[in-house]
Amino acid sequence: MMTTILLMACITFFTRYLFLHRALPFKVGPKMQQFLSFSAPAVLTAIWVPIVFLNEDGINLNWQNPYLSAAIVAIIVAYKTHNIYYTTLAGMGLFLILN
Amino acid sequence: MQPVKKAILKGFLDMLPLCLAVIPWGILCGSLAIQNGFSALETQAMSLLVFAGSAQLVAIELIASNTPLLTILFTTFIISSRHFLYGLAVRHKVIDQPMRWRLPVSFVLTDELFAFSHHRKAYRTKTRLIYALSAGFSFYIAWNIWTLIGIVAGTMLPDLTNLGLDFAIAATFIALVIPGIKNLASLVTVIVAGISATLLKSTGFELWLVCSALLAMAAGYSTARLTTKKEVTP
Repeated sequence: MMTTILLMACITFFTRYLFLHRALPFKVGPKMQQFLSFSAPAVLTAIWVPIVFLNEDGINLNWQNPYLSAAIVAIIVAYKTHNIYYTTLAGMGLFLILN
Repeated sequence: MQPVKKAILKGFLDMLPLCLAVIPWGILCGSLAIQNGFSALETQAMSLLVFAGSAQLVAIELIASNTPLLTILFTTFIISSRHFLYGLAVRHKVIDQPMRWRLPVSFVLTDELFAFSHHRKAYRTKTRLIYALSAGFSFYIAWNIWTLIGIVAGTMLPDLTNLGLDFAIAATFIALVIPGIKNLASLVTVIVAGISATLLKSTGFELWLVCSALLAMAAGYSTARLTTKKEVTP
């Protein structure tokens, strides 16, 4: 079991470290740079949207879905305040009331 | 306050909401492993060494069902492959720093830390490196404390992710993404990422995360190219 854990650790570290290794002989050009500048919103959104819309039965577009209404409130608060604490509190607060 | 102390404090405070949002997953990682026959040491070692929530949770299930080692490692690789994107995206900012900075930065380069890495000067000054390491390692410590609580609580606590507390991570990610939507290109990125990730994940496609991210990046990039072409360049 420990061997499996150590090998997994090597893999996750490898994926994190590889492109920070100096001996890799390449430079990220300006076009690639611009492409990569979209990676943070792309990955983070690809993680949170399925949490809101997917449950064990599949895609849930029902208005009764508490994830959906809480997410809409969180989006509005995030847009208005740009504040992570207000957004999380408002989103979680409504979610816990509805759920 | 000294700049170093200020950077440490700011890193900690910026990461704090995310440290709290992963409580359900951290505890689940601990308790699920114990329930599946891992020893306390093995469970904690996983969070200390692997330090990747989604990969850990999937691996615990796979190990418990006696999956062949190669399948476990391949699955870990697939789930971790999004980190290649993060490394590529921060490479030009970090690459001139000596190894003693690059190694710890890459060790804590999680989804959460990457969300704080988009500033033009991120990782480029000593203060910003200290800020990043403070944020990254406070998340690391939090993750390991939640795992420990899961180990100790074991089966005593209910599955917090079933209580819907998984919404906490969605709320924090919304807070990180929405203020960054400043033009059509970033709006297109977010919409394409959301729709394609939901559709691909619902089909059970293993590479849903990386594929939907790449698709959204391509859409955002193309939109940016098209919209700037229309403007009169000086």
